[in-house]
Amino acid sequence: MTAIELRGVTKEFAEVTAVRDLDLTVEDGEVYGFLGPNGAGKSTTIDMLLDLVRPTAGTVRVLGADVATEGVEIRRRTGVLPDGFSVYDRLSGRRHVEFAVESKDAADDPDALLDRVGLADAADRSAGEYSKGMRQRLALAMALVGDPDLLILDEPSSGLDPAGAKEMREIVRAEAERGATVFFSSHILEQVDAVCDRVGILRDGELVAEDSVEGLREAVGGEETLEVAAAGADDDAVAAVRALPGVSGVTRDGDELAVNCASDAKTDVIATLEDAGVAVADFHTREASLEDLFLAYTEGDAASSSERATDADATDGDATDADTIDGEPPTDANATDAETTDAEPPADDESAAEEVDR
Amino acid sequence: MSLAAIARKDFRETVQSRGMIALVVLFSLLVAAFAYAVRPTGESEQFATELLLSAFIGRFLVTTLIPLVGVVVGYNAVSGERESGSLKLLLSLPHSRADVVLGKVAGRGAALALAVFAGFLPPALVLIAAPVVFNAGAFLGYTVFAAALGVVFVAISVGCSAASSTQRRALIGGVGIYVLFVLLWGALTGQLLNAAGPVVDALPVSAGQLDVFLQVSNPTTAVEALSNAFLGERLFSGEAVNQQLSAAAMLVFWTLAPPLAGLLKFDADDL
Repeated sequence: MTAIELRGVTKEFAEVTAVRDLDLTVEDGEVYGFLGPNGAGKSTTIDMLLDLVRPTAGTVRVLGADVATEGVEIRRRTGVLPDGFSVYDRLSGRRHVEFAVESKDAADDPDALLDRVGLADAADRSAGEYSKGMRQRLALAMALVGDPDLLILDEPSSGLDPAGAKEMREIVRAEAERGATVFFSSHILEQVDAVCDRVGILRDGELVAEDSVEGLREAVGGEETLEVAAAGADDDAVAAVRALPGVSGVTRDGDELAVNCASDAKTDVIATLEDAGVAVADFHTREASLEDLFLAYTEGDAASSSERATDADATDGDATDADTIDGEPPTDANATDAETTDAEPPADDESAAEEVDR
Repeated sequence: MSLAAIARKDFRETVQSRGMIALVVLFSLLVAAFAYAVRPTGESEQFATELLLSAFIGRFLVTTLIPLVGVVVGYNAVSGERESGSLKLLLSLPHSRADVVLGKVAGRGAALALAVFAGFLPPALVLIAAPVVFNAGAFLGYTVFAAALGVVFVAISVGCSAASSTQRRALIGGVGIYVLFVLLWGALTGQLLNAAGPVVDALPVSAGQLDVFLQVSNPTTAVEALSNAFLGERLFSGEAVNQQLSAAAMLVFWTLAPPLAGLLKFDADDL
């Protein structure tokens, strides 16, 4: 059976089209990561799954039923962790879970669920006193009531610290093992890597990529990023590296160079730097990270839609761009730490390289 | 039962609010103060229960304060949850939007009714224990009418809340409801009757009958008419039975129609 099926779904609001002719299928038992930058239409899509928002066109079916007519029946078998929700300040954590149990005609023990999400100690406190992370855990406990066939989690890790995010992943994994289908959205990729069977990337209301994590990685090609600690690399040295065959982009961050290149071009890069009189203190390579992938699909394409012509004929110009935007945070500012900043310019380059290949 | 689950949740939330205790205390103090004002003096031990109820509690407390409290309890029922985002949590669970609106009328209506009983009861207990002749039956019966009026105003304002996309609109709507029913109804219906004079003449009813109907169309007047008939032991009997039936019918109408109308709008909205 199909857990989620969207056919030709479009949602227009007064001033924007949030979702455009979206087809999306999630099979039973799958863990599906629904990715995209903020404002891509992820929450609108999830709101349509829950019948909070009605599509302008197209059909939305969840667990084999039409959400427009059988929403209540669907939600009886679905656990939902909404985004941007708030709790009932005056009611305790336990009351919240009791309310979910009562609403779903389930037989769960509220304390066991609260214990599972790590809120056992706070069960009797008013939810109004909870931190953001605790509220997130509370909503997860409510979502788990009644062993749902489908879990819909909208930005489940928001507000959670790294340990909390890890616990969230473990719960997702346990639910998937129990046989539940899990559909969750995120703008942070590191969590997706570990748990998802399949990933869909949404940009401007359209699905721009959909595959397994490995499949997406292959799609970006065998490129690697070579990170070189090269004190004293001047513009000439950078230009020399950039001119090498197999090198698609170079970015410099202080004494650190990040070179996107085919794996067999690495030795040439090091040799060229040494010829230019740069002392290479250390270097290492890494695979294209999901972060790179994600940005390649979202930001890169976003640029190309408006500037396709200039982008395609100017690999050099693009690399210079990458230099100048170095250090500027990517759109999803929440994505983790310095590595993201490093990863962003190469991602641009990769997409530019793709453009050139075509 | 989904509606009942929401009703219980809202009841609990409303009862646990600080305003609830304040309200009970306020009701108690006002009733006690009025009771003190009409206390028997001199030799007589007859306590003027009916006078206390219709002239003091009725005029100053029930028909002005209770509608206000009903509006305050109801106006943010749906729009407040919509604006804060707790509605998302609520509608993640297997509830229909009808369950939400009607459950809230039931839960908050019940909470307000409880506040009325809890507020009116302590002074009554004192009067029962005191060495006066106190008509406890009339007092308790009257309390039921007061609570019913509160529920009607909760229903009207919850309906308005369901139709409002923002808290601000719901608040404006709530103020409008109070002003219309408590302050302006008589003047407005009078204007209406004058303006529609020729049309009224063509109808098979007299202007006087129409005026009476319009007056009892206002829930506060309807409750006043019914409770006074109750105190005079003429409830649903005697000459004014038709007027009382219209009043009762209008109370039912105001309890059901506004929530359903609000639901119509709420059900069609993107949340």
